[in-house]
Amino acid sequence: MNKIITGLALGAMLGAGSSFAADVRIGTEGAYAPWNFLDDSGKLAGYEIDLGNELCKRAELECEWVINEWDSIIPNLLAGNYDVIMAGMSVTDERKETIDFSADYYPPDPSKYAGSPDVDVDWENPKGLKIGAQGATIHAAYLEDNFSDGNTILTYETPDQSVADLMAGNIDLLLADNSFLAPVIEGSGGAVSFVGPEVAIGGGVAMGLRKGDAELAKKLETALEEMKADGSVDKLLMEYFELEPTYGE
Amino acid sequence: MLETLANWVSLNISEEAGTWFQYFSNGKHLAWYASVRYTLFAAVVGAIVAVLFGVIGAAARRSGFAPLRWLGLTYTTMVRGIPDVLFILFFPLAFEQLVEFVISRSACTAAELASGAWPPCDAAQWYLSTTEYLIMASVSLGIVYGAFAANVIHGAMNSVPKGQLESARAFGFTNRQIFWNFQVRQMWVYALPGLSNVWMLLLKATSFLSLMQIADIVLWADRLGAPNYFARAGLVHPDWRWKYYFVLFLFYILLTVISERIFEWLQRRAGRGMALHGAD
Repeated sequence: MNKIITGLALGAMLGAGSSFAADVRIGTEGAYAPWNFLDDSGKLAGYEIDLGNELCKRAELECEWVINEWDSIIPNLLAGNYDVIMAGMSVTDERKETIDFSADYYPPDPSKYAGSPDVDVDWENPKGLKIGAQGATIHAAYLEDNFSDGNTILTYETPDQSVADLMAGNIDLLLADNSFLAPVIEGSGGAVSFVGPEVAIGGGVAMGLRKGDAELAKKLETALEEMKADGSVDKLLMEYFELEPTYGE
Repeated sequence: MLETLANWVSLNISEEAGTWFQYFSNGKHLAWYASVRYTLFAAVVGAIVAVLFGVIGAAARRSGFAPLRWLGLTYTTMVRGIPDVLFILFFPLAFEQLVEFVISRSACTAAELASGAWPPCDAAQWYLSTTEYLIMASVSLGIVYGAFAANVIHGAMNSVPKGQLESARAFGFTNRQIFWNFQVRQMWVYALPGLSNVWMLLLKATSFLSLMQIADIVLWADRLGAPNYFARAGLVHPDWRWKYYFVLFLFYILLTVISERIFEWLQRRAGRGMALHGAD
């Protein structure tokens, strides 16, 4: 207890920049399989965790992962709680106004609707639907733009909650990334499936950085290029998403 | 060790029991059980701070110096009226900003201070980790429930029979001796039932820790109960959150029962040697 208080006082006096051993802190959600999640041992795992660790190794950086809720993930990057976001975040023009993005490490991925196989939707003129998406995502923004008239839009804090509500039948449709929904649909045993059209929103998925953090951006960018060129990114994409080679020669 | 135990269970009891044993003893579940430490830490530290603030608040309210009396009254009335959730959200953030402000006065250059950016420079940036959030959340709990405790203690001090204090004065004890050795010594009997209520409320409020991004029992129950359809992330199961929350219900009920026992014992102890009704 005494130690904690001394640590707190010291941290407050020094300004904590100096009190952390890690060079770089990476913020992630830890609840978005297969991108980033907690495995059975309670540790972070997933595509972005493997990728991020390898990037740090190649860039010779000491990295530390920080779990942060999705809806405050950009504000807390700006506040300096961590230096990089790797959380399945798509590149959008709106986000580019506040943060910088690296080159993508996942190609633009269509978003899809998941719902009960026998849900009846008039896609030309949808009315009276309950549609869900995770809050503060490109999907939530898309629903707001296209479905706000005559439909109910529900947003969720975590991806888990959105899936739970879909399974419980509280919403008719859930709009999310294909890469996230695919394992959900496969594991649901036929309870839900992909329905309706695919929609292309957002660019690829990339690292988010504070504007003007050029030195760190360059280090990570170089390491990412190297990993793309030697096929290690493709290998990870195959492992987690069964994606055909995308970035290799 | 756990692996061996799991094997033993599946060999000697049943295959299914072994699988479940393995599930409930995997790293994620162990992290859940271990996260109880945050709850207990917050409850104990919160209680200590609450009693401290309670005694100070009550003493302020009885002070002969009027501004101090007003301060005590303001604290007990205002803080009791603020929802605890709100205060737990407010206090750590406000405190962080205050510390950053104080550091920035000396650490940043005048030009940076004038720029209007926040924080003005990197040196004034204070990063909060779980430990700091936990301490601040505990202190917030202490401040909120200290206001209730102050009210209880204030009332208890008034309940000490005047005759006791007057006899003490007649025997020539000083004011300080009368306060500590008579009034404070005897007030616990009257304060404990009220304080036990405050403790119960505080205990329940520890479930708000997850609001500060502390991976406490509630956050882990949420994570563990969330539906999982990705086999690499662990057992595939539908939404089990209600089951995990139910376990938390039982946990809090257990804590309540234990607390009641302890308060009964304290009550008996505080009443020793006092000729009172209702404090046997």
